[in-house]
Amino acid sequence: MGVGLLGRLILSLLMVLLTLLSSAVPVRAADVAVILSADVDAYSEALKGFKTALRHKIVAEYSMEGDFDRGRKQVSEISAKVKPDLIFAVGIWALQVVAKEATSMPVVYAMVLNPPSVIGTGAKNITGASMNVPVERTLRMLKQLGPQIRRVGIVFDRAKTGYLVARAEAVAREEGLQLVAREIHSAKEAIPALDTLAEQAIDALWVLPDETNLVPTVLQQMLLFSYRRKVPLIGLSESHAQMGAVLSLSFASSEDIGRQAGELANSILDGKAPADIPYTTARRVRLTVNLKAAQKLGMEIPKSILGAANSVIQ
Amino acid sequence: MTVALCLFGVPVEGEARDLRDTITSLWPDGIRLQPTAPPFPSHEPHFRASSLQGLDSLNTSLASSLGFLSLNSSASSFTFDIERGVPVRTTDSLGPLLAERAPTLGRGKFDLALTYTRIEFSRFQGRPLDKLTVDFQHEDSNGNGIRDTTGPFSFESDVVRANIKLSIKEDIWALFGTYGITRNWDVGIVVPIIHIQLRAVGDATVVRNSPVSQFVHNFGPDSSPSHVSGGGDKTGIGDILLRTKYNFLRNQGAWPDLAVLGQVKLPSGDPDNLLGTGHTNFLPMLVASKTYGFLTPHVNAGYELTTGPREDDNLRYIVGFDTRLHPRLTVATDLLGRWEPNRNGNGSHILDLAFGLKWNPVGSFLVGGYAQIPLNRNEGLRANVIWSLAAEYIF
Repeated sequence: MGVGLLGRLILSLLMVLLTLLSSAVPVRAADVAVILSADVDAYSEALKGFKTALRHKIVAEYSMEGDFDRGRKQVSEISAKVKPDLIFAVGIWALQVVAKEATSMPVVYAMVLNPPSVIGTGAKNITGASMNVPVERTLRMLKQLGPQIRRVGIVFDRAKTGYLVARAEAVAREEGLQLVAREIHSAKEAIPALDTLAEQAIDALWVLPDETNLVPTVLQQMLLFSYRRKVPLIGLSESHAQMGAVLSLSFASSEDIGRQAGELANSILDGKAPADIPYTTARRVRLTVNLKAAQKLGMEIPKSILGAANSVIQ
Repeated sequence: MTVALCLFGVPVEGEARDLRDTITSLWPDGIRLQPTAPPFPSHEPHFRASSLQGLDSLNTSLASSLGFLSLNSSASSFTFDIERGVPVRTTDSLGPLLAERAPTLGRGKFDLALTYTRIEFSRFQGRPLDKLTVDFQHEDSNGNGIRDTTGPFSFESDVVRANIKLSIKEDIWALFGTYGITRNWDVGIVVPIIHIQLRAVGDATVVRNSPVSQFVHNFGPDSSPSHVSGGGDKTGIGDILLRTKYNFLRNQGAWPDLAVLGQVKLPSGDPDNLLGTGHTNFLPMLVASKTYGFLTPHVNAGYELTTGPREDDNLRYIVGFDTRLHPRLTVATDLLGRWEPNRNGNGSHILDLAFGLKWNPVGSFLVGGYAQIPLNRNEGLRANVIWSLAAEYIF
């Protein structure tokens, strides 16, 4: 049975009316619950940034105080009583608990290092703002050090930073650099791996945000390697630069990472699926240059790097 | 019966209803000796103490000596490891004993503590409490305006000296409650329950400065008693403290953590029974602390203003440190000072040293104990040692 002209006209009018009505009714502000891993300044600042960016309402705030049992109870309460439209997890512990306990609710995280190693790649309801420095920034900074930098040595544990190394290899190729990678499974294997790197004539050594690199004895060995082999070391924090790394790159603002997370939350609450939103890396990066260390290695730091530095150790 | 007791040296109980009147009630109208018999001029020798020679300020000292009770927040805290991206539980100690430290409890946390303190006072203004003396001077019998030392009225130079033995003991149970309203802001209350035991025994003798003294000045059946006693026990709520602390600087490089603390002491304790000062006190205080490795030094300083006498206004300070010997054991030392700049014209300075330990046997439960000893014994009302025990739980 066909629809007559009059019927089509009425249907069109109804559609127009419905559209007008739907645009006249204000969009409901969604509810967001927050869970912090612990009370630390970096997390408070991230929450502050999240609040400034978020266009929706925070209905509950929890801190698990580093206690996983407490965190699990809090997530149960969020799921059963608060029933928010989205959970904002600040820090790795909160993300671990939320990822395990709240499997269907949209989750946005902030201040998490190496998120793929924390939640894997299967979680479709989770995205967020990591505190990783984009590998592009580090590799471009290395390239800026001079044309002598071609082979960059790294030591890594695939379970922790395999995803990052894969990305770095791709970027390095684009930048005309070569990553000389040594895969290890524990910190004990790091020092022998460094010895094999010495044989590979690398031009720079990069400390990855990998637990195996951050053990004090390994870091000490990397610094010694840098001095003995006259290759610059790229660190992860200002304290690495103070210890002797020529350059270090770290995230510059917890608050900005929180803002990034707030923007991601807005996108999800506006209807986008978390699985369609890739996690972000720090968009504000702090660069520290150690001129003393560079001098000892006989290096000259280009003006472009010095001009971009937030802190220079003379 | 009273006469008989006096003669046999059994003290007569004074009629003090309130503990603060214990000393003045020993001989409330001065001391009257046995009326003289002929041929000596008939008179009723009457001796008065022009004042209690400073003992009356003992009451104030007693009530205000409770002010050093402190409210600690000994919650563990975290710093952030930027390289690993994880919070790291700090190796802070379990907190100071009597001082405050700048960090607050944390939002939503509740700290409940119970302390027991035993104080047995031993000295007042440097004088042993069991060897106090008050001199009662003879009244001016001939009305010449002076105390005669020669002539027929030379007996006016006699003095009745009262040796007073005081015993003051306090047991203080204090319930502390602190709640973290925000990450940086705590509020708290301290409710002390005080049991005070005060005993005074007076023994009066005539100090004879006149040749006729032994004929005119003697205790007897019709005189005031030479042996008196008074005092009693009282238990009640002390002065309640309301406190708030705001931590405005934390983990800022080389700067110490800083907080401001405001305290109001309410006049809830009965001043007539030495359970409180009877005045409202306000104490703003600056708190600084910082952990350097295994050592956490702290400094507290503030000026307490009272609605009572201006002499009671005082500057308070605590300087000390606490250190974690073991993850579950902290030892601490505090130097405690209280300076009353307006007292006695040239100020009064009380200085004590406290030392003790805190133990964390399980979870958020802490027990501790400390001893406080005076460094200058000649100021104020002092005990040889003050013992305190505490139990604390953070929810």
